[in-house]
Amino acid sequence: MLLEAHHLAHHFGDRAALDGVDLRVRPGVLTGLLGPNGAGKTTLMRVLLGVIEPDAGQVLVDGRPVTYADRQRWGYMPQERGLYPAMPAGAQLTYFARLHGLDRASAHARARALLDELGLGERWADKAEKLSGGMQQRLQLGTALVHDPAVVVLDEPFAGLDPVAVEELAGTLRARVAAGRTVLLSSHQLDLVQDLCEEIVMIDQGRVVLAGAVAALRASSGSRQLRLGLDPSAPRDWLTGFPGLVVVEDRVDGLRLALPAHVDPLAVLDAARRAGEVHDFGLDLPTLSALFLAAAAPTSTSAEVSV
Amino acid sequence: MSFLDGVRLVAGRAIREGATSRSWRIITAITLMIGVAVVVVPRLLSPGETRYTIATVGDAPVALVAQLQAAGAAGDFEVRAVTVTDPVAAEAAVRDGDADVALTAVSPDATLYVAANGDGTFPAIVSQAVLGLSITDQLGRAGLTSAQIAEIQGTAPPEQVRVGRVADEGRAGVGFVTGIALYLALIMAGMMIATAVATEKSSRISEVLLTAMRPTQLLVGTVAGMGALALVQVAALAVPAAIGLATNDLLELPAATASDIALAVVWFLLGLLMYAFVFAALGALVDKPAEVGAAVMPANLLLVASYMLGIVVTIQDPNAWLSVAGSLFPLSAPLVMPIRWASGLVPTWQLVLAMALVAATAVALALLGARVYARGLTRTGRRVKLHEVLAD
Repeated sequence: MLLEAHHLAHHFGDRAALDGVDLRVRPGVLTGLLGPNGAGKTTLMRVLLGVIEPDAGQVLVDGRPVTYADRQRWGYMPQERGLYPAMPAGAQLTYFARLHGLDRASAHARARALLDELGLGERWADKAEKLSGGMQQRLQLGTALVHDPAVVVLDEPFAGLDPVAVEELAGTLRARVAAGRTVLLSSHQLDLVQDLCEEIVMIDQGRVVLAGAVAALRASSGSRQLRLGLDPSAPRDWLTGFPGLVVVEDRVDGLRLALPAHVDPLAVLDAARRAGEVHDFGLDLPTLSALFLAAAAPTSTSAEVSV
Repeated sequence: MSFLDGVRLVAGRAIREGATSRSWRIITAITLMIGVAVVVVPRLLSPGETRYTIATVGDAPVALVAQLQAAGAAGDFEVRAVTVTDPVAAEAAVRDGDADVALTAVSPDATLYVAANGDGTFPAIVSQAVLGLSITDQLGRAGLTSAQIAEIQGTAPPEQVRVGRVADEGRAGVGFVTGIALYLALIMAGMMIATAVATEKSSRISEVLLTAMRPTQLLVGTVAGMGALALVQVAALAVPAAIGLATNDLLELPAATASDIALAVVWFLLGLLMYAFVFAALGALVDKPAEVGAAVMPANLLLVASYMLGIVVTIQDPNAWLSVAGSLFPLSAPLVMPIRWASGLVPTWQLVLAMALVAATAVALALLGARVYARGLTRTGRRVKLHEVLAD
């Protein structure tokens, strides 16, 4: 299912939580919704899921307005531990499967299979409160996936997880994406998801500041840096042939150049090789944090960024 | 999934989780014990039948014993007659506690020894009987025929009409206790519902649920599930008490008290139906379960005020205007009407009217509550003000 949002707006009192947000999540493409705390990610997800009605704009699936029946088959994992503490793991998954319309027998079968997949097969009869934090996170993911939803929306699924748990969870999600499901996850840890998500939508203060394929965004950004291991004695006059190019460092071991968006790094490399011997080179793409800082309003400082 | 399927799922889950929780089981066991104790303890503490002993010098006249036994049958006591040899022995019998009274002869000149610390009922009855027999004797000696004497004695005393603020004090007393139980049951059930809603909200389970079902399904399901749990607790208290009162005459309560208790269960259901949605809506306004106590304060105050009206005003004067108004006003009726009804002075149409008003109010509050609930659930991060969710 292609999930789209057009010009979504929502306000809480005087504060605009969403200010004309457009979004496109394609099936088979793991998509990240990124932004600092308070950017409007959770509100956007709630609007997508119909938990709250937007003041303006609309949500579309496969090009038509979303219906209640569509959403009943979606899966949602909110940020907090959305589990019943005193309910056994198996009963919990069965219950959520039945809420989404499965009959008793198939709900039970799906719950069994999913607990096994999540490595919780032995914990069927254990109460949720008896499970470790990581297990609870997996169980909660299970409640969002147990009915094999066409659209899965996860709010900060990686918050508080160690790297191993992040990789496990990402694996579970990639399997869904590979099966053609539409998966959207949010995170305020921008650099954590840059290796996980193929596409991202960055929002800040209720507006989209950047959207697209991660690789293309990083490669085409104006904040790429080219490292050139060029002999210090080699001439530097060829640099003027690239307008907008900035020399960040010029030391004995070489040059570090900031390339504007329109400059082809390979052309710069060729020019450098004509000037002297290049014994080392590399193109440093900006992190998502750096892209965010470049794109966001100057007042945003709360994102976890590492430039 | 149909509306009712969703409600059934939510209610079923709430009941399963509640019924397996330790706290619910303990409270239910305690209420059951109280319900049984209400019936059993008075039976154990009951002093049994009252028995008076009269000592007479020589054999007691048959006429006197017959009169005393007739009085005993009417006044619910038994009479035993013993004989002593002389007046000294008669006095000693009373002093030693072998007899309640001792009579030296059946004559106004005789002496009636009575225990210094005994109650005055039996001596008065004996005196009356002795006097009556003496008068009969004197009338006979004065030449009246036995038919004439019988006619004089057949003169009926003035008719006694019992007056009081209530038809029966015992029944009103049970109504008072029922009022307390109803109040506690409603407060507890309301708190259970509000806490369940607030817990689901704070863990964001409600958001997941709202993606799969409509707010009204979730609301009705939660209320039905928690209400069923509370009803079981009320039944644990009411059923043994009602059966005990209906089958046990030791407490000397009219049979109506058993049906009063059955009616109180109906009132609990009506009151719960009306207040449950209010409590659920208030529970949806909080951000953390710890804030539930403060959030449900308005509903609790209403219940406390109704309860106070019932036990302070209505129990004293069931037909004071405040009692009548309170028993008909829907928000207070579930607590005031059962107390007032137990006075036995309420026309049936008022009972029916009060129930109809409560039912209608319950529907209105359910609709309003669903609105507050749906909006409250999705506003997180701080406590939501009631006017915010009602405003837009």
